[in-house]
Amino acid sequence: KMPKDSEVTTEADIKPKSVRRAKTWSDVVENLYRFQQAGYRDEVEYKQVKQVEQVDFWPETGFVKKLQRRDNTFYYYNRQRECEDKDVRKVKIYVY
Amino acid sequence: EGFFVFFLFKVRGPPPAGSVKERPAKHTAFRKFYERGDFPIAVQHECGGNKIAWKVQIEELDYHYFLPLFFDGLCETEFPYEFFARQGVHDLLEHGGSRILPVVPQLIIPIKNALNLRNRQVLCTTLKVIQHLVVSAEMVGEALVPYYRQILPVLNIFKHMNVNLGDGIEYGQQKRENIGVLIQETLELFERYGGENAYINIKYMIPTYWSC
Repeated sequence: KMPKDSEVTTEADIKPKSVRRAKTWSDVVENLYRFQQAGYRDEVEYKQVKQVEQVDFWPETGFVKKLQRRDNTFYYYNRQRECEDKDVRKVKIYVY
Repeated sequence: EGFFVFFLFKVRGPPPAGSVKERPAKHTAFRKFYERGDFPIAVQHECGGNKIAWKVQIEELDYHYFLPLFFDGLCETEFPYEFFARQGVHDLLEHGGSRILPVVPQLIIPIKNALNLRNRQVLCTTLKVIQHLVVSAEMVGEALVPYYRQILPVLNIFKHMNVNLGDGIEYGQQKRENIGVLIQETLELFERYGGENAYINIKYMIPTYWSC
């Protein structure tokens, strides 16, 4: 049974076992798109690398608001959707 | 004999006033500060397009200093100045919150300068920025009402600049590059977010505008 897009369960010190590409857009895919644009796999790797407990999210939509890249510059994201339909196929979903 | 005189001295109409003619753009303070390295920004070339990476958190920036400078860069048309100004203004307005309202009076002159260039591309960018500014924070729309007499005259000149396609399809509608439509959207936002006195002030400057 293939896990759904929303069933990405992780632990901090476990590396992903498999990866697949997103087929349709969803809130989870949007956040993954934002993390991968900043150079991380997903929220788990971001918290591991940056040693933070919480990530900045937009309260209205729940999308990622701000990320710090590996070179310590900051990426700021819009309140609304940024991942266009043509970019959905580029988003990788890691399964742990 | 008067008929003969008429043929000798042909009557010409008045010369064009040049109200829609583009004006030459001068180098802005934004360009000077950018080349000096005063801005904490860098461009990142992503596969979906360029993106701004901020070297300092936006929350720590002095909006009184940076926001008017970025608005001044709206007059630019060359890369990377145009990109940094447009995207920088977008990021600052998106994440500014309550820090935007006190800076509004300082933004009027840069907006007026950008609109006065009569450059079509700069007009489109500036109108979109104004729309974003109005909805960016509480009370910003009402704070702009006293400055309508400085911003709206140029909009009055270009308000008629629409495309009549008949029953054709406007394939580029999503790009939002039709000046007439953008002006109408901007005026409607001014009226919605400007409070009670907004409509009468808009009507004073643009008599052909109707309430939405």
